[in-house]
Amino acid sequence: MRPLRDRARLLLAVAAIGLTPSAPVGAHHSFAPYETTLQVKMAGVVTAVKWANPHVYFEIDAPDGTSGATRHWLIECASTSILNRAGWKFNMLKAGDRVTVIVSPLRNGESAALLKQLTLADGKKYGNGAVAGPATIE
Amino acid sequence: MQFRLVAVLTAVVAAGAIGLAQTRSAARSITGSWEAYPLRGEGFGSGVPPKTPVTPPKPIPEPPLRQPHLDQWRAQQAHDAELTRKGLPPPSSGMACAPQGMPAVMQATFPMEILETPGQVTIIQEAFTQVRRIFLNVPAVAPEDADPRFFGHSTGRWEGGTLVVNTVGVKESARVRNVPHSAGMRITERLRLVNAEILENQVTVEDPEYLNGPWTWTWMYKKWPTYRIEEYVCEDNRYFEDPELRYQRLRLK
Repeated sequence: MRPLRDRARLLLAVAAIGLTPSAPVGAHHSFAPYETTLQVKMAGVVTAVKWANPHVYFEIDAPDGTSGATRHWLIECASTSILNRAGWKFNMLKAGDRVTVIVSPLRNGESAALLKQLTLADGKKYGNGAVAGPATIE
Repeated sequence: MQFRLVAVLTAVVAAGAIGLAQTRSAARSITGSWEAYPLRGEGFGSGVPPKTPVTPPKPIPEPPLRQPHLDQWRAQQAHDAELTRKGLPPPSSGMACAPQGMPAVMQATFPMEILETPGQVTIIQEAFTQVRRIFLNVPAVAPEDADPRFFGHSTGRWEGGTLVVNTVGVKESARVRNVPHSAGMRITERLRLVNAEILENQVTVEDPEYLNGPWTWTWMYKKWPTYRIEEYVCEDNRYFEDPELRYQRLRLK
């Protein structure tokens, strides 16, 4: 079983999207290791946040779609300045927060994903900049 | 008598120079924050279009590389694109948090700040906190005297409303579009305000060892008067080159 297909079945929602060839280049690295044609939605609890460059990262524990076991994910965001310009604030996310994310997972099956949209417990939604691209599922 | 005439002439020239500087600084100053134009989407800039939109520049043309460099470059581009399509993007200098260098730094990946001070124009690109210094009205550095640097050695002068900048001594690893170049590469930039909000940069790369002729394109920037350049220190780089497959990988811990 390919890990990607496996993961797609386990997670809460899956949607195929088109590639975005007109997306601008980022400063640091390519997002090609992520499966950009796949978006998944999952709810979980934040376990760590690092507000730094070249990328902001946070980690979440989210229940597995079928087994219910907890899976730990590293979520990659854009740079601090991109997030600031996209309306984020450095202290709006902290360990213990319940969040919902829409992400594109790594193609190699490791538990990391590129953020497309973050929804905080109060319902506010945040994007991850033009290079990561928008969420195309709800 | 002769002394008096020289003194008067000197005063007239100085007054003219001050007048020119004052005129330019008042209406034609390029000091301030700028973002790439056309605008680049969420998180990259203000998202506010200029009051008077201008025709955006054409994409950078293919470099007029000499053979066999052209075939090698095309093959490498195709190879890298195929690997990227497969999710295995080849390592890049950016992945290692190295500066973009000249001329790529001037594409304004993130907003940039231009500072005009007496005898110098300084350009600060937010991404990787890159800084280049352009020394005005001084002799150009000869390529053989220029130790290789990411931003090379830049000298410039104002020709009316156009800042003409000459850059030599760019290190071989600093590339735009991964185009190879020699130690003799010369970059000429012509920066001028198209209108009050749009700054144009005509870039010409000359390198007889690698290029058949000048490689020219234009970048544009839109003024963002209220923007303060943010800090960008590459302190938590989790990307590395996979030792076996040689592609960009993410460190999870």
